[in-house]
Amino acid sequence: MKTILWLMAHTLRNTFRKRSNIILFLLPVAGVMLSAGLYGQTGGTGLSIGIVQQDGADAVGRDVAAFVGALDGVKLTDTSDADLRDRIAAGKLDAGIVIPPGFGESLKAGKPMQLELLSVKGAQVTAYVQAMLDGYLNNVASIAAQAKGDEARFEQIYGEYTKGSFKVSREQLTDASNVKDTTYQSLGFLVAFMMFSAVNMSEMILREKENRTFLRLLSSPVTAKSYVAANVAVNVVAMVFQTALTLCFMRYVLDIDSGVPIMQLAFSLVLFGIGAIALSLLIVSLSKSRGQSSALQNLIITPTCLLAGCYFPMEIMPDAIRKIGAFLPQHWLLDTVNRLQQGDSFGSLYMNLLILAAFAAAFAAIAIFRFSRNNDTRTFV
Amino acid sequence: MNIIEIGGLTKKFGDFAAVDNMSLTLKEGEIFGFLGANGAGKSTTISMIASLLRPTKGEIKFLGKNIAKNAHFAKMNIGMVPQDLAIYEDMSAYENVRFFAGLYGFRGGELKARVEEALSFVGLGDKQKELPKNFSGGMKRRLNIACAIAHRPKLIIMDEPTVGIDPHSRNYILQSVKELNRMGCTILYTSHYMEEVEEICTRIAIVDHGKIIADGTKEQLKAIITDSKEIWIDVKSVEGLNQEQLKEIRGVLSVRIEEQRIKIQSRAEIGNLNDIVQQLIRDGMEIRAVEEQAPNLETVFLTLTGRNLRD
Repeated sequence: MKTILWLMAHTLRNTFRKRSNIILFLLPVAGVMLSAGLYGQTGGTGLSIGIVQQDGADAVGRDVAAFVGALDGVKLTDTSDADLRDRIAAGKLDAGIVIPPGFGESLKAGKPMQLELLSVKGAQVTAYVQAMLDGYLNNVASIAAQAKGDEARFEQIYGEYTKGSFKVSREQLTDASNVKDTTYQSLGFLVAFMMFSAVNMSEMILREKENRTFLRLLSSPVTAKSYVAANVAVNVVAMVFQTALTLCFMRYVLDIDSGVPIMQLAFSLVLFGIGAIALSLLIVSLSKSRGQSSALQNLIITPTCLLAGCYFPMEIMPDAIRKIGAFLPQHWLLDTVNRLQQGDSFGSLYMNLLILAAFAAAFAAIAIFRFSRNNDTRTFV
Repeated sequence: MNIIEIGGLTKKFGDFAAVDNMSLTLKEGEIFGFLGANGAGKSTTISMIASLLRPTKGEIKFLGKNIAKNAHFAKMNIGMVPQDLAIYEDMSAYENVRFFAGLYGFRGGELKARVEEALSFVGLGDKQKELPKNFSGGMKRRLNIACAIAHRPKLIIMDEPTVGIDPHSRNYILQSVKELNRMGCTILYTSHYMEEVEEICTRIAIVDHGKIIADGTKEQLKAIITDSKEIWIDVKSVEGLNQEQLKEIRGVLSVRIEEQRIKIQSRAEIGNLNDIVQQLIRDGMEIRAVEEQAPNLETVFLTLTGRNLRD
């Protein structure tokens, strides 16, 4: 045990002595940031909407702007027509609304003019405002229809409506889909980087062989098995630390709430990580040099991560490819997380967890078989 | 007392026997030379003594204990200096020795003392903090030795420790080997350099095709070949020399050329020097010197194995 601890300390020191390894270790955090940038919003969820008021003389026209400004999570900014498009293009505004001259009058007449909602971010940003605005304008148009051109009657009903005499009850539901996507893709990146990190750590065995220090190690009281055990132990420690760091970064720095209890998420990731370490040992056991193991890791990890949906959502992939994903451990981890987010209990996902454990056991068994077939301790691995 | 006893040792790789029914003993306090050409079975034997390779058959005892059953005991008392440098280029000399010594269970002050002692012994005491990548070939070789001796082993196995280094470092290493031996270490030494083995070894074994074909002190080995002699003839140029004609002269066993020197091995009892000189004159050689040599280890090796050590 004393020797294994000595070897572990040596492996850790040697690994993190190199800046490139520290960068590789921190890549999952960068991956999560990238994913959050691509797929989600980090932290604040407010919409910034610019409004060009060209019908300011009319009270009804002014009320439209006030209605939009009063919506939850919307920050309204008055702007000019010329400025609006520039600010949207520059990303300073999420969307813009132009209230044309005579809009109020058209509402009163029961034939509201078309309101243009401008955005470069598409329906995912404008849908909420558009729906609320449509509802409001429909209500005002209905009032106009009831007034039948009688301006006094319109003003009376409209006045009561705006005072809140007409009770509109609204239930706000949390839209978790965006957070879910962000979490899913962030974990996808984490999974890919975990696999690359595991191989990088296991490659140390090949590095020792290449610089012949492995031979000297084995001529000391260290056995090949205790050497590999120390390497695996360091890999596990690094994996747990990497997972904890990434999850904490996601939760407390990027404020991404995955919707899954953090311990359940961590357990699933560590279970997957053990499988990734077993796979990395298998890759090393199949390789005679680091060049070979690098080629193998690229051949195995990158395509399987793609097929399992680590880089892109599975929904965009054809059915045949989705079916292949079922044979990959990454898929079962992401599926576990997905189902936890959908409200399944952790206990009900025992089959997913068993499959992940089975992948780890199978990879480890093949790697051990490969190692033990060779009774020459000089080329044990 | 015997530190190593090898009996009926065999190692096969498929059908090829790298070591073939070898038996050998090493006594405590010896510097034992292991001579053999490439592929003779030296490294395979050494690897089995160092528990790096399992024998196909036979037994190795270290201080009376079977190595296969007492590998930990043997490893704790054996230091291995591999032929290839086995050091971490990105760790300082001190860190290298410290790491390997730590594998033997040393910690704290004792570890520090052992590391400093080993580095001072090989003359790298003032280079402790430097990285081996900045070292000369000789300094790296010395660090390679320091990593093997910090735990003060009873037996040190040195596999070609002077390959590719300058004469100064080679001399330093040879003196270190003698010093280690004076301090009580038994040394098992392999080398391609006959003169090194002749200079430092107290007993020598000649290995060929996985077998020990002769062993003893250098005097005992030389006595084996009293029936042959070596004639060295220095010429201005060997251009035009007909080696085949020389080999046909009665009593000539072999002819070798080393720059402007022709080395002829011949039966001792046959007086053929005149015939040899006349043949050289016929070939247009301008003879500068003729010398008859008593048998040396190289002659012994050549006679016993039929090939040069560096073949």
